[in-house]
Amino acid sequence: MSVLIEAPAGASDTDSNRRRYWTSTECNPVADTAETQTYLATQQTQHQSTLMKLATIGVGNAGTKILDRMLEFEDKTNRSLCRHAMAINTARTDLAKPDFIPPERRVLIGDTHQGAKGHGVGGDVEVGADVAKTEIEEIRRAFDDVEIHDVDALLVSAGLGGGTGSGAGPVVIDELQKMYDEPVYGLGVLPGEYEGGRPALNAARSLQSFVTKVDNFVAFDNDAWRARDQTIEEGYDEMNGELATRIVTLLAAGEKDDTDVAENVMDSSDIMRTLDTGGISSIGYASSPVDAQKGLIGRFREDDEEFNADEATDATKIKGLVRRAVNSRLTIPCEVSSADRVLVVISGPPEMFARKGLESARQWLEDTADTVEVLAGDDPRENATELAAAVLLSNVTETPRVDEIQDQAVDAQNKIQELDAVREQEIEELITDDDDELDPVV
Amino acid sequence: MKFALVGVGGAGGRIVDRLHEEEAATGRSFSNGSLLAFDTDRSAFEGMDHIPLDRHILVGDTHPDIRGEGVDGDIELAVSVAREDRNELHREFDKLKLHELDAVVLVGGLAGGTGGGLGAVILESLQTLTDIPVYAIGVLPDGGEPDQHIVNAAESLQSFVRLADSVILFDNDAWHDSADTLETAYDSLNDGLAQRVSAMLGLNELADADIAENTLDSSDLIKTLDSGGISVIGQATVELEDSGFFDRIVSLFRNGDETEDDGTTTTLAMRTQDLVQEATTRNLTTPCEMSSTDRGLLLVSGPAEEISRKGFESGRYWLEQESDAAEVFAGDEPRPNGSTVTASVLLSNVTEIPRVDRLKERAVEAKQTSTSKHQPQD
Repeated sequence: MSVLIEAPAGASDTDSNRRRYWTSTECNPVADTAETQTYLATQQTQHQSTLMKLATIGVGNAGTKILDRMLEFEDKTNRSLCRHAMAINTARTDLAKPDFIPPERRVLIGDTHQGAKGHGVGGDVEVGADVAKTEIEEIRRAFDDVEIHDVDALLVSAGLGGGTGSGAGPVVIDELQKMYDEPVYGLGVLPGEYEGGRPALNAARSLQSFVTKVDNFVAFDNDAWRARDQTIEEGYDEMNGELATRIVTLLAAGEKDDTDVAENVMDSSDIMRTLDTGGISSIGYASSPVDAQKGLIGRFREDDEEFNADEATDATKIKGLVRRAVNSRLTIPCEVSSADRVLVVISGPPEMFARKGLESARQWLEDTADTVEVLAGDDPRENATELAAAVLLSNVTETPRVDEIQDQAVDAQNKIQELDAVREQEIEELITDDDDELDPVV
Repeated sequence: MKFALVGVGGAGGRIVDRLHEEEAATGRSFSNGSLLAFDTDRSAFEGMDHIPLDRHILVGDTHPDIRGEGVDGDIELAVSVAREDRNELHREFDKLKLHELDAVVLVGGLAGGTGGGLGAVILESLQTLTDIPVYAIGVLPDGGEPDQHIVNAAESLQSFVRLADSVILFDNDAWHDSADTLETAYDSLNDGLAQRVSAMLGLNELADADIAENTLDSSDLIKTLDSGGISVIGQATVELEDSGFFDRIVSLFRNGDETEDDGTTTTLAMRTQDLVQEATTRNLTTPCEMSSTDRGLLLVSGPAEEISRKGFESGRYWLEQESDAAEVFAGDEPRPNGSTVTASVLLSNVTEIPRVDRLKERAVEAKQTSTSKHQPQD
């Protein structure tokens, strides 16, 4: 497999650098990339609060479920990140699933499209893109009641293995980029190896479109989150829940009441600055339950040898938590040192915060991620039962899973082409005899 | 998927009758009552218990060689009378309300004059009348049938495959137990076919199913069958034992323990994967070389807590590897109160089918024997 795709005209060096590994010449992106993508600098307007406010759109089945779990997590933890939540899908059955996205905010597209008819797009990324293009006015109208002056950014979540998220997702993002100056982020699920060749091909193609079109793409790798002892229901629930926890903890960081802003409190502009790199990002996360009397209970199952619950000061606890966040399962496994910028959020009861801990965690990350651009801040949550660390590794350029998906995609594409080429002939050979003695009845 | 059912000839009519019965029995309403049974033999309708009378269509009853008594295996006669009556046939299709459906499925015995001949003409008509996919279920004759039937089957198979968007092939021989009387054999054959077709083509139409994690939609099914050619369906079912509940309790306790090397939960994954293998290797409607498959589809149906994610994924992966298919769709169908787990597998456009090769050989031999006896008429 060779990598020959050229960066679109006008792309800077950094752009072509991050394009290096998620493009592959043999798989084409899904939606039109001929239009030169303008990377708008984040337009920071004056906001009342430092908390980020998002308009969120789930596209396809996986995208919708993830968004629904984000809303659930917000609801449970009393956060309010997603000010607008919308689901777009081509399958009527999937639109019945969400518990938290209101019914009037679920948009069925393609019910009059010959290739969909409200029954999905058959995993066909072309049909997914075509349906969304055909119904672009409908999609635009769905954003009519989004008060854009009240949101800082837009987030599109989608699974990249199917046909709807991978095909319609980039079309929706294109439209959002045209309509709004605010950054548009992507949250995308990459199919696992066991999901097969076609999902890998869809994902490899769609990933190109997503990363080109969004201001940042947070990736989630299904393979990294496969556990042996799950039923099919638990499996997806758990993954979607984990992803929702990570993304919401990270993006919702900050303080509601800005009259008494503590020194290290995270601000939405810090988060957006970190995401401003473009490319693919990965999130690490770790948490420990908080006991009202004893403070932190050491439930550090995962090999942080330096940590000793009895002797540790608050500072070492926080540093330990951050290390664990980065060393445990990332949303997509990556070479941490390939990150461009890093953001660390410590979320929990303010009395658990330790400035020194935050600073030494930041220092450790500077070394580990090999970048000076590490922002660290607190997310005070008075009644939180956990202390959590969420780490955003922005624009990581070494993600082995992406390479694997591309290889699998090329194989799948070759096989599909081979089978296409001989299909008609093989059918004829099956039903006819060599000497043409047999004649059809009509 | 919602689809119309059109039975043609004796075997076709019986199967459609049985499929319609299956709808009521399983709570899968896939036809919306869109049914028709065509025959040239009046007596064929007598055995139908579930297709309403106004859907029994007798063809060619005014023809001097038929008179409501069938074509006696004469496939050319069936074709010519069907073509003469084409306009009348078209009027009957109005009853199917095809615009409300996702597909139409014609069922016919390929060996019979009516199933093969009238069936092929009806396929031709349906393709000109509607944009929705037109599928056929073709039943092969068993080995003991007379030469004429073998030639009919080989020749109507050509027409069926060229005219239909896909032909699901059902081989009587693979299912025939010689100890059975013909009557009971037909019943068990039709049961096996009805269960497979109902579960596979009727996906997503189960009334009491929960919403799936991986929904398979009719678009996925249509895409799978879109490769054309001949398709086969396999199925395997496991009864859930009472001990299932105890196992689940045990696994609940074990879930938190990371060091476990369990028996129970692995069994769940293994069972799901075993089912997929069994469905594909032992229980296909027509035995075939699996690696000649173009596209595949897997549906696992059962109580959600009895379907392992790993087993489901590995089963799908196994199917993709073994079938060497370009694409294998997979979905689950949670049945909250189900007492069984069923894996249904669709192998679309399989091109190596020993049974079809033998059929062609025999048909060619039979034709050569008969032409050496009679001079061709045209």
